[in-house]
Amino acid sequence: MSVLADPIAADNSARAISGGGVLVPPEGVALHFRVAGLGVRLGAQIVDILITGIAATAIVVLLISVLSWAALPLLGAVVSALFFFIRIPYYVLTELAWNGQTLGKRTMNIKVVANDGGPLTTNALVTRNLMKEAELFLPGTLLFALNAQYPLYSLIGLGWIIAVIGVPFLNARRRRMGDFVAGTYVIHLPEPVLLPDLAREAPAPTQQEARFRFLSHHLDHYGAYELQTLESMLRTGPGVSETEHRNRAETVKAVVENIRRKIDYADPVPPQDARDFLMAFYNAQRAHLEQRQLFGDRRADKFHDRPEPEDPKKSP
Amino acid sequence: MAAADLIRSARFRAEREVDWRRLEHLVGQAETRGLQNMGFADARDLANLYRQATTSLAIAREISLDKALLSYLEALTARAYLSVYAPQERVSGMLARFFKQGAPRAMRAAWPYLIIGFASMFLGALVGYLLYFEDNGWFYTFMPTELAGGRDPGASTSYLRRQLYDTDPQNNGLGAFATYLFSHNTRIAIFVFGLGVFLCAPAIILTFYNGLMLGAFFALHLDRGLGWDLFGWLSIHGVTELSAICVACAGGVQMGAAVLFPGRRRRVDALRHAGQNAVKLAIIAALMLVMAAVLEGYGRQLVQSLSARLTIGWGFGVLWLAWFVIPAWRRG
Repeated sequence: MSVLADPIAADNSARAISGGGVLVPPEGVALHFRVAGLGVRLGAQIVDILITGIAATAIVVLLISVLSWAALPLLGAVVSALFFFIRIPYYVLTELAWNGQTLGKRTMNIKVVANDGGPLTTNALVTRNLMKEAELFLPGTLLFALNAQYPLYSLIGLGWIIAVIGVPFLNARRRRMGDFVAGTYVIHLPEPVLLPDLAREAPAPTQQEARFRFLSHHLDHYGAYELQTLESMLRTGPGVSETEHRNRAETVKAVVENIRRKIDYADPVPPQDARDFLMAFYNAQRAHLEQRQLFGDRRADKFHDRPEPEDPKKSP
Repeated sequence: MAAADLIRSARFRAEREVDWRRLEHLVGQAETRGLQNMGFADARDLANLYRQATTSLAIAREISLDKALLSYLEALTARAYLSVYAPQERVSGMLARFFKQGAPRAMRAAWPYLIIGFASMFLGALVGYLLYFEDNGWFYTFMPTELAGGRDPGASTSYLRRQLYDTDPQNNGLGAFATYLFSHNTRIAIFVFGLGVFLCAPAIILTFYNGLMLGAFFALHLDRGLGWDLFGWLSIHGVTELSAICVACAGGVQMGAAVLFPGRRRRVDALRHAGQNAVKLAIIAALMLVMAAVLEGYGRQLVQSLSARLTIGWGFGVLWLAWFVIPAWRRG
């Protein structure tokens, strides 16, 4: 099958163009990541600032107790220098040690990855964290130290911060300036959860003596989308409370009726067998669609047998 | 249920599920304990199973419509990918490499930008110098009053001299070091670097402005016959410090130039490429600024003789130059 005819490959390239979190590792199998939003990154940032802040405060308290109160007038400068000297190594070293995660990012389950699918380099991590300093913290401190005498500095600082905060909103991967320079972006760490295979739970045709028998013309109506929707529905249990139970049963009954009408399934399905019917249908439909797929006939959804709309650009 | 009864994709899953579970376990270990602390067999299995999982994922995308399986494999492969391709470098080796190769090489590669950086500072100083002699009033335009600290055209010559040879203990040691570090010049250096991305102009203008102040300041002292004294006073830390600003400017200009003239690359790629070098310049500038802070905090007050000040200041300049140039000679 050619790459262009493959809907998943086409889908991948479309997503790559739109800038979502597609990453191609050296093994060549594209992986999809959920790009971390700015909210969760802000949360991680706050945790990190708190941690470095507490560390710096502890050292300052130590300094005060060791030195004397005479040094107090200079304390402001010492504190800002300390924050500077704790912050930069903290970000760089934690991201190096935990492969792109500071403590804050670990709590939020997000992670820095390299744009090109290769490993994160030291250079990239240093770059993105140094740029953070130039991007946010320095103009930030400048804003805090607002001085009415020099409104120009404050205005420059304010304009700079607005410009810098605007950058992540303007690209799909939510990259800030430092991410661009370092060639990185931030993703949600995916959580691998293996749910049981519905096809194994379904009653096998031999055991059930073919209680529900689906023929090929029954199975030609739906595509992968409907199949996977049915899968999600079957994975939700019968419900806990009384009303929930009743509602779910109603839904199952409605779905069964819809499917029967759509596929022209003549035999009536008694209500107590509704779930078994759906299971059997899921199994048969999946086997059918997967087999069609092996023969190069991918059916994305129930509109698969409609002719492709003419592409106005391609027509002469 | 007998395996023969299962549909193809369910059999595919049943055959490989044990391996996936083991990979999941190994990935968990690698993430919590670190790849370095895993046994040989486990580390080997992690790499092997990861490659198997990528193959499984590629096959599953072709043959399976089981959403649960696809999303599990996708997440598992992604997690395994992230731990297999984690950086494996030790901090000590990294630092040694930076000092021995990375930094000098970056400086040598950035020579055109360094020329731009030093030239904008020098031209600024020249303009400031000439303008001062045209009209003293320019001094007040360039110099913020807080920075001048009373050292302006209205001050007496003896006051200026006292400032240059000042032994006030208040400005000594750690305090001066810290105050200095966050004083004007460090800020300028960081802005000069960070603003360079915006098409070079802010970096060059800020460096030029810094030169203007320097030129006017120098002209003021020359006017009062304190030219050499100021030169010594500035040299002891200024050689290092002003060079640091120029180096930061070179880094900023390098990034701005990548945005302006990306060549055959995309702008983003050009910026990333230039950034690798520019960040090294920024680190070098930061190191130079810390050194300058030590020199200013301790050296300037302790060393009062003019010749010693000159020797220390320019000696450090030569040392910096040696760091950047000698590794190239060694390689031949």
